[in-house]
Amino acid sequence: MTLQKRYLRITHLLFIALLLIQLLPTRSTKEVFTNSLIIFAVGVEVIVLIASTFIKNEKSLALLLDIAGFIYTVLGIWTLATAKFNVLNDMLFPAPGKVISQFVEDRSTIVTNIISSLGTTFKGFIIAAVIAIPLGLFIGWSARVGSAATYISKFFSSIPPIVYIPYGIALLPTFKSVSVFVIFLATFWPVFAGTMSGVLGVDKKIIDSAKVLNVSKPEMLFSVILPASLQQIFLGCNQGLSVSFILLTSAEMIGARDGMGYYVKYYSDFGDYTRTITGLLVIGFVVIAVTFLFNKLQNHLLRWKK
Amino acid sequence: MTTNKIEIKNLTVNYIENKRSFNALHDVSFGVGNGEFVSVIGASGCGKSTLLSVLEGLRQPVGGSVEIDGSQLHGTGTERGVVFQHYSLFPWMTTRKNIEFGIKQARHDIKRSERTRIAEDFLNKVGLNGFGSKYPSQLSGGMQQRAAIARALAMDTDILLMDEPFSAIDAKNRVILQELLLKLWEGDGTEPRKTVVFVTHDIDEAILLSDKIVVLTAHPGTVNEIVRVPFERPRNREQLVKTDEYGKFRNKLLSLLYNDIAERIGGDEVVL
Repeated sequence: MTLQKRYLRITHLLFIALLLIQLLPTRSTKEVFTNSLIIFAVGVEVIVLIASTFIKNEKSLALLLDIAGFIYTVLGIWTLATAKFNVLNDMLFPAPGKVISQFVEDRSTIVTNIISSLGTTFKGFIIAAVIAIPLGLFIGWSARVGSAATYISKFFSSIPPIVYIPYGIALLPTFKSVSVFVIFLATFWPVFAGTMSGVLGVDKKIIDSAKVLNVSKPEMLFSVILPASLQQIFLGCNQGLSVSFILLTSAEMIGARDGMGYYVKYYSDFGDYTRTITGLLVIGFVVIAVTFLFNKLQNHLLRWKK
Repeated sequence: MTTNKIEIKNLTVNYIENKRSFNALHDVSFGVGNGEFVSVIGASGCGKSTLLSVLEGLRQPVGGSVEIDGSQLHGTGTERGVVFQHYSLFPWMTTRKNIEFGIKQARHDIKRSERTRIAEDFLNKVGLNGFGSKYPSQLSGGMQQRAAIARALAMDTDILLMDEPFSAIDAKNRVILQELLLKLWEGDGTEPRKTVVFVTHDIDEAILLSDKIVVLTAHPGTVNEIVRVPFERPRNREQLVKTDEYGKFRNKLLSLLYNDIAERIGGDEVVL
């Protein structure tokens, strides 16, 4: 890549535009925390410049620059609409700098809530996966029960897991355990169904190849059928994971004492919309980060595929 | 009393397709001597792969029997190594892991470190040195079959069953692989040769490799003739194909394979 291609990009122009916008006179009656916004934008720009120096792949550089450009544009328009021209209700729409400084101020509470939310999700998710995958392998492999199980799992996975919440509250001692229970149900059925469809779809030639090696039954299930159906299993896991976040935040808004959903609900009840928006954005980032890491894991475990 | 390693007696196999049963193999009998290389040839659909799947233990005959070392064959077994046309290797294991896995299945007493050493040894023998950490999807079709052969040989089974292992390989690499297999199987005379049943539709491949060729005819698959290959070992393809005997022998096999065509033309000379 030439130096021009590396550094002479429209994204940097957007960054400068964003800084120039800050020079306009402020018309909002509320505090707007311009400095926080500037520090944040400079931080992003520094990261982009460092990455521009080191990224070798032209496509991933373009991707990074496009995302940064989008962030600058949104922040620019947001600043104009709130702090500078005050066209939006400043009760409901805080300036971007305010959200950023709120995040910094609340960071320890936010981290605690993220940990609580993730802990609940992973508990439910992992318990579900640990039960659903071996069960799916066993049942899918015994073909006679397999097709009946496909219909049964279809029935159960068609019940939106959120409707279990009221019953779960009656059944279980704490609200935490209700959340884990609901996430378990939301993950279990798609993972179970994915595992079974994976098992049923394993190429007969691969099974023959294992049979002539005289593999034992556990080896057949865990060294052959499991890796051969891994892609389908991941399909189910991905579905379970995305539903889990929806359910978790919903559940937290209903009755939890901590977690990101609780944070958003709690402060919106008080009309603190700065914290509400901060919470929304944080949830977005957390979900993206978890999905990203999960995809990395998936690509690593399926690296043998073309 | 039999001295054959594998004895196939009056084997009959039926297929069930769309609720209708049809006869794939009918009353097939032949023996394979210890250390003998036997090829089964025939037009596609003659049941030669079905025959091999019975020997592999993947398919049950409706009549007749297969005996190995005088005892009845039941299911799959670790005294038989198998190379298929496709998917002999597990795509999620590296080449080395595939070979190690095979060794572990066939020879339980071998330690892990020893398995790695044997795997590396056989990778070298088939010319795959340096490819041990690659996944099958990263290898060409020819290299995958090399690895499959390496695994079958590393398992050190008495019997090797090969189901059209080179059919999906391009012509140039097929010749190279045939010569590699010939060299590995013939060995240097220090170790006993393995008993091989090799299914193919390639006449030249069968002649180059085999001691004996079983010609099947189709619908239902029956043994047309069993022919002993008259050429000395160790064999060399280039010298072999130049001789008149080779041409005559090849024509004889061709006419056996396509006997009905030959009859229609009405002569001994069959040009195909």
